[in-house]
Amino acid sequence: MMTFVGKRLLQLIPVLLGISILVFLLLHLIPGDPALTLLGQEATPEDVERIREILGLNEPLYVQLFVFLKNLVQGDLGVSIFQDVPVLTLVLSQLPATLELAFLALVIAVIIAVPLGIISAVKQFSWLDYVSMFFAQLGVSMPVFWLGMLLIIQFSVNMNIFPSFGRGDPLVESFIMTIQSGNLYYVIESFKYLILPALTLGVMSAAMITRMVRSSMLEVLNEDYIRTAEAKGVRSFWVILKHAFRNALIPVITIVGLQFGNLLGGAIVTETVFGWPGIGRLIITAISQRDFPVVQGSVLVIALLFAIINLVVDLLYALINPKIKSN
Amino acid sequence: MKKLVWLLFLSLFLVLVAGCSYENPESASSEPEQSGEEGEGTSDTSTADIIKVGLDVDAGSMDPRLAKDTSAARVEELVYDGLVRLNANLEPEPALATEWENPDETTWIFTLREDVTFQDGEPFTAEDVKYTFDTILDPDFQAPYLSLYEPIKSVEVIDETHVKFNLKEPYAPLLSYLDIGIVPKHIAEKGDVLSSEPVGTGPYKMVNWEKNNQINFEANEDYWGGTPKTPKITYFIIPDNTTRVAALESGDVDFVHSPLSPQDISRIEKNDEFKVEKTQALGFTYLNYNMKNEILSDVKIRQALSHLVNKNVISEEIYQGMDSPGKSPLIPASWAYTDNVPEFEYDPDKALELFAEAGWEDTDGDGILDKDGKKLSLTLSTHSEDPNRIQIVEYLQNEFTQVGVETEVLTNEWPTFSTSLMEGNFDIGLVGWLNLVGPDRAMYNQFYSDSGSNYGKYSNARVDELLEKGRRVSDQAERTKIYQEAAKIVTEEVAYDVLLYQGYIAMYDKNLNGFEIHPTGSLYGLKDAELTN
Amino acid sequence: MAQLEPANNPEHVTIPLKKSSKVKDFLSLMVKSKSVLIGGIIVLIVILSAIFAPLIATHDPNEMEMSKRLMGPMEEGHLLGTDNYGRDLFSRIVYGARVSLEVGVVSVSVSLLIGVTLGLVAGYYGGWLDNIIMRTVDIVLSFPVLLLAIALVAALGPGIDNVILALGLIYWTNYARIVRANVMALKEEEYIQAAKTIGSSDFRIIFYNILPNCLAPIIVVATLGIGIAIVAEATLSFLGLGIQPPDSSWGWTLSFGMKFIRDAAHLSIYPGLAIMFTVLGFNLLGDGIRDLTDSKTK
Repeated sequence: MMTFVGKRLLQLIPVLLGISILVFLLLHLIPGDPALTLLGQEATPEDVERIREILGLNEPLYVQLFVFLKNLVQGDLGVSIFQDVPVLTLVLSQLPATLELAFLALVIAVIIAVPLGIISAVKQFSWLDYVSMFFAQLGVSMPVFWLGMLLIIQFSVNMNIFPSFGRGDPLVESFIMTIQSGNLYYVIESFKYLILPALTLGVMSAAMITRMVRSSMLEVLNEDYIRTAEAKGVRSFWVILKHAFRNALIPVITIVGLQFGNLLGGAIVTETVFGWPGIGRLIITAISQRDFPVVQGSVLVIALLFAIINLVVDLLYALINPKIKSN
Repeated sequence: MKKLVWLLFLSLFLVLVAGCSYENPESASSEPEQSGEEGEGTSDTSTADIIKVGLDVDAGSMDPRLAKDTSAARVEELVYDGLVRLNANLEPEPALATEWENPDETTWIFTLREDVTFQDGEPFTAEDVKYTFDTILDPDFQAPYLSLYEPIKSVEVIDETHVKFNLKEPYAPLLSYLDIGIVPKHIAEKGDVLSSEPVGTGPYKMVNWEKNNQINFEANEDYWGGTPKTPKITYFIIPDNTTRVAALESGDVDFVHSPLSPQDISRIEKNDEFKVEKTQALGFTYLNYNMKNEILSDVKIRQALSHLVNKNVISEEIYQGMDSPGKSPLIPASWAYTDNVPEFEYDPDKALELFAEAGWEDTDGDGILDKDGKKLSLTLSTHSEDPNRIQIVEYLQNEFTQVGVETEVLTNEWPTFSTSLMEGNFDIGLVGWLNLVGPDRAMYNQFYSDSGSNYGKYSNARVDELLEKGRRVSDQAERTKIYQEAAKIVTEEVAYDVLLYQGYIAMYDKNLNGFEIHPTGSLYGLKDAELTN
Repeated sequence: MAQLEPANNPEHVTIPLKKSSKVKDFLSLMVKSKSVLIGGIIVLIVILSAIFAPLIATHDPNEMEMSKRLMGPMEEGHLLGTDNYGRDLFSRIVYGARVSLEVGVVSVSVSLLIGVTLGLVAGYYGGWLDNIIMRTVDIVLSFPVLLLAIALVAALGPGIDNVILALGLIYWTNYARIVRANVMALKEEEYIQAAKTIGSSDFRIIFYNILPNCLAPIIVVATLGIGIAIVAEATLSFLGLGIQPPDSSWGWTLSFGMKFIRDAAHLSIYPGLAIMFTVLGFNLLGDGIRDLTDSKTK
């Protein structure tokens, strides 16, 4: 197990290096001068030239790349051109909000998807099956930003149940507050902000997971031993839950892990629609300001997270299904 | 066994939840006040202790010397004071300076307000003024608005309460630019802390800044201009215009300000729950013609194109009256404003005549004007952040194409678009200017031959001469004449086609009183605002 | 392709139906072909409306009438109302099918070209070529594709061609992985070995023996990919990186219409529905084909 993890971590190094170089080159291909955006519309060409010099943008590209990689190896992600704050500080300040959002979106997705998937598998070819599958298909067919906007109009403006933007207190903090004070107010207030963006973000994943749960449940349900159990007359509800679902869990875990990565990406759009102060919006803003160090840093952190999640998923996979390990 | 464990867990959870209450701790703590209010008459109005404002973008650096985005400006208006403050007519009024004199053309002496303290308790002195401008003038400091202050040779401290500005040359617009916030030397010297933790002398102090989410302020009880009426202000960052107005409608914020979507404004105007206030802003939106373009270098072509622009449609349909049809770079809010400039009314036939005079006609019957085998083909570009501007270019594309001008549209992100402007790599650009506190700010950098913001490389010796003179002369009546003449020339020659004079709009809860909208967009007026419940 | 690969590709975890009874086989075929049928009809409708747009449209989609902007559905002969320039929304949606289909189909073709070629090379030759290609796949897969699309469009500049190119350049990884896995499995098959011994060229083996055998999964992913590309284009438009006027995809109409969502909701609802409908069609079709081919091969 340890060698497996070690090997995977080693494999990560060239990938991260590749990402760094790719992102660096891509960003420098984008037209638009950070110095000019920094100075604003009234800047004179001399001002721009001066700032370019200070920011090191006049060096040849390979020199800039080298400096970037050298700093990176030393754990230095650079300083934001616009905010004048170390990139790592900036990224870490925005990351919890995104993780919170992605996590809740995943929870919502699983809560929706698992029962739907099980029902449609158990009641295969019934109208329940068709309806659930239709909703699953619908979920992956909608542009996320459109759904988000419709939810805001309906639930925030028309019904005024949830706030239309922003983030309340961090969920973890308000959870602790609630435990300490015994007042549910804190948790519920945080949830009010979270629920619409998390739902928006979770719908697509819910659709994917539903399909996965259904198809893997179907497969397990058709296995001989389940039929045997059924024949023996064990109450079918327990058969399904205990045997089938446990076995169907493996592909489900894989896709759940995969979805978590997708959620981090989907957060870019959701955060823009809902004004959620996370890393997605940080990246979008940084791109529009040509704040290269911030984009590079954020992308690297996301890639690292992505890789770690994949690793964890693979480990879980191996744990749940020892058969694979022995292969 | 397993079931037992689950059962235990479940009951534990239920007990926990059952043991919890649900109440707003803030309302609970303020209960005594509320019960007092119930006996009507004891206090007939209860005012909210916070005003929630929706802003479009997060602030960049909050150091007034470095700030350049509008949100940072909105922060400074609350946290900092300048030597002067511009009133609604853009005339300088005393702020940290109580009076000033101009003994000769290149010297200004300011008398500073006494007994003013920074929000950390340290006194405000002449040293702070000198330090603020010394750093701005230091090229290594990277102040974005350095060029506005460049005519300042030096700033001298005469005594605790007097400072002297020595100028390199007479510089009439100086006072308009001295509303920039004065920073505390003792803090600024320690390094770059003011960028994220501003400390000024203004009516509110910033207490915390959750990046991309909210900026919180508390009233500065010791403010020299009197304690602000509302104890707290929070700026919420809501990038999307539609969402921001939705937040106003749902009561999540109490106050929003331009930029806004025109269609949202007309809807809110019909809603009794809100007040809508408008004013002329200090900006205009214009088409910038590139004189280096072979086709556009002919003034007849530029005039012909101007006849294809229906400014009334743009103002009334696309902007829903939010911005008004424009004429010249002298905006109505300016003291130099004049209505008496050449005008190119919407008239496609007139345009065709002018094209023909310039030699462009559709000879091959393909619907596109041509001359010497070359098609009349142009690109209209703008930036993708502003949906109203995208609508203008798409609308104009349609108008131009109909008379036979082959028109392409290019909308890029601002950094890309502004770079192409800077490099002169455009045909016709749709852009705007903001913060035009005086005619110098509206014209010098834009039309002076060698100036950096003269994207279209417009050059006219008479205009150069006038713009130079406008800086040296201090008599306002004479300056008015100078700028009006320059404005007439650049409009006649269509260096710019000024489409719109920008307007500012504030929309807020009908119970919010005391705020006055300002042509600079300043939210300083919030110090006098209160929200009754 | 064991468990050491990062589990990034949903195709690898699809577990096909096995050992089903005859009756169930029959039934499942029914439902599967039903989804192929419905999906196929939807896709056909979209394709037909793209081809016969001039006949179906009630107005010139580009004719502006500023005095008639933002009219509601059924007003003054405008079936779905007018947009913010007074253009007929129904006609624009009908014509928009052309642009959206173009985005979907051409970008998937670009992905196919890149992905299939690289997958074949990696799978067939193996070794360092395989290593380089698959590490590139890992890199592309290891950050949000949307981000890559944003950066690419920003770098290439807006406009329909660049959007298509950008989408094509990011969505090729699935094809590469599928083809590679299939090639690696097929390579060891006897008939391929036999072809090799009789001296068939690599080219011939790849195109006559191997490629036809990975067609089924490629078709599935490509069908689903068209839907993904259409949504991705809409998202890019939403972020201000879409196509340029007067071209008009549904994504552009939708995201621009959202600026008017409070006062003229039809401007964002109908293009949104058009996207949803079309993507739904491609998804049903793709999933249906997958189910059919899965059970056929087992």
